Amino acid sequence: MYIYETNTLLEQLESIVLDAEKENTFSQDNVNEIFRIMHTIKGSSAMMEFDTLARVSHRIEDMFFLIREGTMSVVKDEDRPALFDVMLHSVDYFREEMEKVEAEQPLNEDVDSFLGNINSLIAKIKGEEIPAEPAPQTAAAPAAAPAAPSVPPAQTSEGSAEFPYGLRVFFDEGCGMENLRAFMLVTSVQGFCADADFTYQPAGVESDSSLSETVIEHGFLLQFRSEADRARAVPIVMTAGSVHSYEEQNYVPAPPPAAEPAPAAQEAAPAAQKAPAAPAAQATAQQHQQGQKESLISVGLSKLDQLSAIVGEIVITEAMVTASPDLKGLHLDAFSKSARQLRKLTDELQDVSMSLRMIPVSNTFQKMNRIVRDMCKKLNKQVKLTLVGENTEVDKTIVDSIGDPIMHMVRNSMDHGIEENVQDRIDAGKDPVGEILLSAQDTGSEVIIQISDDGAGVNDEAVLAKAIRNGIASADVEYSHKEILNFLMAPGFSTNAQVTEFSGRGVGMDVVKSGVESLGGSVSITSEQGRGMTTIMRIPLTMAIMDGMEVSVGHSIFTIPINNIRSSIKLTEADILHDSVNGEMVKMLDGYYPVIRARDFYNLPGGAEKIEDGILMWLESGDCSYCLFVDELLGEQQIVVKPLPAYVNNFDIKNYGITGCSILGDGNISIILDAGGLYAAARNL
Amino acid sequence: MSKENVLFQVEEDELDRPVQEDEGAGSRKHLIFTVDDLKIGIDAEQVVEIQNSYAATYLPMMPDYILGIFNMRGQIIPIMDIRLRLGKLPAEEGILIVIDYNNNQLGIQVDSVDLMLDIPNDSIVPIPSQSAQKLVSGMCTLPDGSGTMLVLDCEQLIARGYGD
Repeated sequence: MYIYETNTLLEQLESIVLDAEKENTFSQDNVNEIFRIMHTIKGSSAMMEFDTLARVSHRIEDMFFLIREGTMSVVKDEDRPALFDVMLHSVDYFREEMEKVEAEQPLNEDVDSFLGNINSLIAKIKGEEIPAEPAPQTAAAPAAAPAAPSVPPAQTSEGSAEFPYGLRVFFDEGCGMENLRAFMLVTSVQGFCADADFTYQPAGVESDSSLSETVIEHGFLLQFRSEADRARAVPIVMTAGSVHSYEEQNYVPAPPPAAEPAPAAQEAAPAAQKAPAAPAAQATAQQHQQGQKESLISVGLSKLDQLSAIVGEIVITEAMVTASPDLKGLHLDAFSKSARQLRKLTDELQDVSMSLRMIPVSNTFQKMNRIVRDMCKKLNKQVKLTLVGENTEVDKTIVDSIGDPIMHMVRNSMDHGIEENVQDRIDAGKDPVGEILLSAQDTGSEVIIQISDDGAGVNDEAVLAKAIRNGIASADVEYSHKEILNFLMAPGFSTNAQVTEFSGRGVGMDVVKSGVESLGGSVSITSEQGRGMTTIMRIPLTMAIMDGMEVSVGHSIFTIPINNIRSSIKLTEADILHDSVNGEMVKMLDGYYPVIRARDFYNLPGGAEKIEDGILMWLESGDCSYCLFVDELLGEQQIVVKPLPAYVNNFDIKNYGITGCSILGDGNISIILDAGGLYAAARNL
Repeated sequence: MSKENVLFQVEEDELDRPVQEDEGAGSRKHLIFTVDDLKIGIDAEQVVEIQNSYAATYLPMMPDYILGIFNMRGQIIPIMDIRLRLGKLPAEEGILIVIDYNNNQLGIQVDSVDLMLDIPNDSIVPIPSQSAQKLVSGMCTLPDGSGTMLVLDCEQLIARGYGD
């Protein structure tokens, strides 16, 4: 939970920083947001006892406190790039540490150099700021200053007439972050008690770590207006972490020498009111954050799968009920009316349950911002990234696995696509700032992801020369432009002569290609020399749904994925050729293709024997191409792929070209064939 | 479910010991069905449901005792003909008992389902080794005196798919 929350915050932080960098300033909102994020990370890290994380976030929080107090103008222009760099580094640092936390590895203890960076930046910011701010005593507490004035009265008066019921809490010795722990108590008390009904001393604990000492020495005093509230607070205090002891104390007003206490009370009252004022902003910020948290819950993927399975079943059952043969010939007006309504609802239910697994690609896209930014700096190129269609929603599993291919393509474009010299671009009449366009588009059945740059484009001759050198192409064959582009995706091809940090590690586009193909998608490249290059990935929206052709053999129904089918042909016995081992072949267009009879291969009971009675399906998968003889085509259908039961998989059924099954509209089951696997199995017989 | 199964096993193991505790051993409900004149019982905890009619989809390349798969409310469940599995002649039709053993679901086709009975755990005795029936983990005399019941070994039934 902690990891998930922190990662979400980090993503938020990163996008804020990147946006802000474009503007070269942080807006006040952004500063507040970062302040809040850091504060949350600090608090939760301290609770989880990740001290280094808490320390780093604390320093950043301090820095942003300064910025928040003095607005962005306190940061000199020349320091701003350093500020952005530090922020992005810290995001990286936190991410790394999060991974370690997740893997239960020890955290990196040595954060001094990193803290040093932040400190020097703070010093720079303060160079401007110090006159306005009273010099803090310890370096760790620049935030102490504004909160400090409200503290002194709190220490002298043990309570006030308005809040007579005190509760003094002492924390365990050496538990650390006493001020934060105290603030956690305050927030829990806020859970049941209105701000106006209680107060606490010392005030400002949430942002001032120097108050830790005060809390250690004098304890943390909560004061309530009513005794009942205090009674309710006691169990909370008792269950809170690291609480050593607590004592209840009641404020007894001194016998009235009227002149003296009146101003004292007045003095105490504004102090008391001032104290909650500061955390009030904090509290609203936290409430705001809680609002966000409530709108999102994480659900196990298996539960969603279960849900969609049940919904699929409901849809089928609904069809079974409304189309029941018992109803035939009956005129049931009321029934058909309600049946239509049911149909509409089940359709809606199905849509909703499908959409649950869909998440927008924006997260993946946003990450590219960072990559482009870093590479711009490293390679000294000027490139802007344009994102289109970030809100396109895709199945979660797909979003997870397209990240790497997209990143690879963006890096490729940055590294190889955009020209080295700005002058080259100007000479070519292009905008000196390069552009990489990353777009996602939902066509209904598939999502199209396009990555294009306006760089130099692919140099056909260089690619061909390289392909020949690597033995992928042969020198004496003429290749078309398209074929040459396809070499880019051949294994072991990388046109850049040097291996750079970002791309070209001997693996290249072929990894992108195989990655996308494993999702059932395809990759294509277009390029025009001097104009740039475009890569298009087409990926089916969800892997669980595919287009298939239903065919029958005897009583069995099989589904063949539509992208494996080249065509279907009616032939006669006379068209069948035989080879020496009694294998069958047909001649089609340009070549001879083996024929596999599904009935014989699977030993099915029943089914057409004569070629005239059935139909040949010309299938292709990878590099195998053959004809499958089946009885009849039943039609094309979108199907939901279901895995076969584990028990059945024990029998190595997958090796026979059967990959799964699907429930048809009438409740029957069709078996999904894998064209490649079937061919391989038939060859081995 | 699996926890209960483990429990069940432990109890059986205890019964195998010579010293038996009559009280506290308890009893478990068993579903008793008939296959070719044999009365076979199965722990009712493992029974998901009983289906009278179902449409099996033939699945190629499987042993002959796997009749196919069927669609039970969206779940694909394999069907085994217990007669063929025990090496007997197939029957024309039967009743399907869907069992769940450690989250593996399997439908077994039997001739008829007889009744549900409480069987005291200590009445189940191991099979004499010379007549060890495959797939049976124990036997007991039915309390109503109507005959002898064999206890189906679900673990073997499901695990044996790997080898043969």
